[in-house]
Order: sequence, then structure tokens, then C-alpha cells
Amino acid sequence: MTRGVPRALALALALLPACGRAPERGAPPAETTPAGAAATPGGVPEPEQGVAPLAKSSVTVWFPSSADATLVGESREIVDTKRAADRGTQILQALLDGPQGSEALAAVPEGTTLRQLWVRDDGTAYADFSTELARGMAGGSEDELLAVYSIVDSLTLNVAEIHRVGILVEGRERDTLSGHVDLRRPLPPDRKLAATRAKE
Amino acid sequence: MKTPRLLTLAALLVAAVEAASAADAIPVAISTDTGGPSTRAVLTFSKPVACHVVETAGKVQVACDQAIAPSPAKGTLGDAILAGFALEGDRALAFTTGRGYRKVESFEIRNPSRLVLDFEGERGGAQAAAAAPAVAPGKSGTIIVIDPGHGGVEVGAVGVSGLEEKAVTLDLARRLAVLLQKQGITAVLTRDEDRVMPLDDRTAIANQNRAELFLSIHLNASKRKSAIGAETYYLSADATDAEARTLAALENKAYQSPDAPQATPVSPPDHGLELILWDLAQNSYLAESSRLAESIQKELNALTGVRDRGVRQAPFRVLMGATMPAILVEVGFISNPEEETRLKADDYKDKIVDAIARAVADFRRGVAALDTGGGSSGASRP
Repeated sequence: MTRGVPRALALALALLPACGRAPERGAPPAETTPAGAAATPGGVPEPEQGVAPLAKSSVTVWFPSSADATLVGESREIVDTKRAADRGTQILQALLDGPQGSEALAAVPEGTTLRQLWVRDDGTAYADFSTELARGMAGGSEDELLAVYSIVDSLTLNVAEIHRVGILVEGRERDTLSGHVDLRRPLPPDRKLAATRAKE
Repeated sequence: MKTPRLLTLAALLVAAVEAASAADAIPVAISTDTGGPSTRAVLTFSKPVACHVVETAGKVQVACDQAIAPSPAKGTLGDAILAGFALEGDRALAFTTGRGYRKVESFEIRNPSRLVLDFEGERGGAQAAAAAPAVAPGKSGTIIVIDPGHGGVEVGAVGVSGLEEKAVTLDLARRLAVLLQKQGITAVLTRDEDRVMPLDDRTAIANQNRAELFLSIHLNASKRKSAIGAETYYLSADATDAEARTLAALENKAYQSPDAPQATPVSPPDHGLELILWDLAQNSYLAESSRLAESIQKELNALTGVRDRGVRQAPFRVLMGATMPAILVEVGFISNPEEETRLKADDYKDKIVDAIARAVADFRRGVAALDTGGGSSGASRP
């Protein structure tokens, strides 16, 4: 099995203060989330600390539409952090928190949490969710398709560093969530699904 | 760009292998796949070894410049294209070709180091029958594979009254088979009972049967209880973007670190490239799959009278790897109480399969017209 991540995290964290971005050599590519990266090696300075407060930026989080089989965008503000994984984590958290308007529906089953998100130098992000994401799926392809692309499109259409998204459940890859959409490899965005924004 | 990273990984691999068994034969894992149109053998080397492929009468030999330890050391496939393989001496692997063998193509992949051999040729009907249980019994002529979605504990979507998707899809598939047989087509069901059927096996049955078409039948479900009507899907082009996917696979391999701690909860995808290449099979049929989907959607819209939900594309797992035009049709929403009630009625189910059978006939007439040069230019083979 593949077990590259903690080592990659450690190396990336060790090298980040020096070069300001994930290293290109000496280690598998890694940018990291703060959430899952508790194992920071002792003595390594925290990157991006002690500087001026970060600006906020507006993103569009994509939810299943309550009107048709597409996604509808709702605006959210996130802290404009330097690392793509930090921005992505905030976006996914907003997605999991659910829609605010009546034009959108919850994207993922109730109780679903984000365990970790990490972003590689090649533009692939891996989002690891709790078991509810698969267990709570009702079994229809429309729900499954919209859940998957609410995650993929919310990340790829907002975070320039993310081009495709792999979805994991409890740290493991799955063939599908409920028998339809192929999750064996990272998915690029479906721009046709994300076509309309909710009225403000 | 990637070289230093790969070197690091290679160094780790070499260190690990040498520590374990210095100066021994290089372990090579052999896997074979007779599920596709050609027979594929993948040799996965535990470290890079220089080998070349030599073809002699009745044999294809992979000769390496170091001793190798293949696992298994020999194998019998009983395949019309590839009969088997065995170690020859200590540094060559000999593949014995079968009667149907025509030629071999080979290529190498790194991380881990692999040699892929594609043995091309023809398999007889008897061979296909031996390989898959759900194969049409020795009949020549057109075969269409019908795939009733879900099965067994995988019930699929469930309606408010308790109607289960898996039961309706099987019922529809059986009805459709009868209609297609009236058109002189041999219909093969991927499952003809209530049981779990892996998605890959469904596609493999279509490939092994050399089916003309693959029709996967499903019922839809939506959180929107008002959602009604049929939708027909074919594979999204993004999902078959060969370059991106191959690259992603290689990156995944490069991403592995053999000395990482055991406790990590995270496991990025780790697939053999052979799987990815099979997945690309549907890529060559997207234009025809699109036309077949249009044909079915048109008939179902006429039947249901609902607004056009249209043809859509999605990276549906069951369509990947199909080596023929392949679609997934969602004949209605089981999550809509009215549609659920309709889906219980025999006459409505007959109308659905009637519409699909008409669409299949339309599609096949279009192909026949193209073959004789009478069709439009817009629907040519990609």
C-alpha cells in the first residue's frame, strides 16, 4: 500500500520556510493541510506565522440545485491563505456546513466530515471524508453525481492550484460512493454542472 | 523536474531489495488479463532490469540481462491467443502463443518498473465461452449485453413505497432481452438473478462476448422529489483523457514512499497501469455511444412525455473499459412517488423496453447505412 504522506508532510514542512513552497526535489510532492498535519516535527518553524493578518477573498461554493440536476453556486468568504490546502479546507468546510439559500440542497449526507485535504504540486488534491459520505448515499446516480461534483467543482473552480480531485473515504480509496461514479482516479471539474449562481 | 524525486525513490527501492537478497534473481510479478480484445501480460519488476522482446516461431521471449525470479514461474492461460508462459534458463521468460495469435506489442512503464505485452489476435467463440459464464451459447450474429443495475445486497435506490431499483432493473432487462431476441439479436444479461455483480465483471462480460452494444439499465433517485423522467448517459470525455490519466497513474507511483510510517490513514490510489489502459477502451467509441444515447433518449422522451432531460455525460464506472458503444439509461426516478407507482406496472415496463428496443433498431439501421456509405458524415467512427 502507499504510505507516503507523513514522510512527505514532514519533509514539506521542514523545507517550506526555506523556499516558501512545497519542495520539488528530495521528497514526494506535498502541500499540506493544517488539520491533518498535527505531526509537525519538533523545532520546525511554523510557516506563515507572525505576519500581517491575511486578507479575505470571495469564493463560490457549489451545491446541488433544488430546481434541476445541476449545481448552484453560493458565495462565501474565506481567509486568503497562502497554501492551497488551507483555502481548499475552508471551501470544503463551507460545503459540509450546507447551503444558506433555498435554491440549493445539501451536497453530502448529514454527519459527513472532512478528515484531511492535501494538494500535490501537480495540481491533484485528495479530499478524505468520514464514512458518512458513502454510507449516507441514497443510491441514486443523480445524488451521487452531484455530491461528487459539488466537491470537485468547489475545489477546482476556486483554487487555482487544484486541477483535479481524488475523493477518499476514511483514508481509503473507493471504486464508487454508491455504484456509479468512478472514484478510482482524481476527477477534473465538470463545468457544465456548475453553470448558475444563486441570487444574492 | 521529476528526476531527483524518482532517483530518491529508486535509491530507496534498491536499498530495500539489496538488503533483503543481495545478488539474487530480481523478483518479477506476472499478471495476465484475457478480458480485453487482446491478451495482456504485465511483468512488474522489483527493480529496473533491461529486457528485450524476441519473437520466434510459436513463442515470444522476454530476455533480460540479469537473472529474474518470476512469480508465478509458469502459467497456463488456455487462451486462444496466449497459451501460457514459463521461465527459460534464469533470465528469460517465454510466452507460448496460441492458434489465434497474430502479433505482440510491448511497452515499458516506470515506478514501479513494468513491461506490458499485448498479444493481439483472434479468439474463437468457444474460447470466450470458457472464459465467462454469461456468454451466449455459441451463436453467431449480433450479441447485445444488457446490464441490470445493482443486485444482491446492493439494492440501489429505494422508492418511498419500498420498491427496489435492483428488482426493477432485472425485470426490465429480462423484458428487453425478449424484444431484442425478436429482432434476431442474442441478448446476454450480466446477471439473471438477484445477486451482487462487480462493476468490472459487467463490462468484462460485454467485452468477452464481443457484444455490439452494452446497455446498462438503472433507475434514478434525487433529493428533489419532483424530479421525473429518463436520462441517458455515456462516458464523459474527461474521464478517458488518456494523457492525464496515465500521468496521474505515474505520479501516484512516484508518490509512494516505502519507508513511511505504518499508521497513516491516507492511501492515495495505487492501480496497475494495465487497469488504466483498459479503462481507456471506451474512448474509441464515444461518438457512437453518444448517438446510441441520443437514440434511446429520444424514444424515452416520447414515451414519458416529460420535458427533455437530455443526454448527459458522466464518469460512470460501468461504462469504462467497454470496447463497444455503451450507455447507461436511467429510465425514471424511483424517488418520485408517481413514477415509482408507474414503474410497478407491467404495461409501463413493457413500454419502456419497447422504446429502448426501437432505439436500438434505429441505431443499428444508422450504423448499417454508414457502413454502406449512405449515412450522414456527422456520426462517423472517431
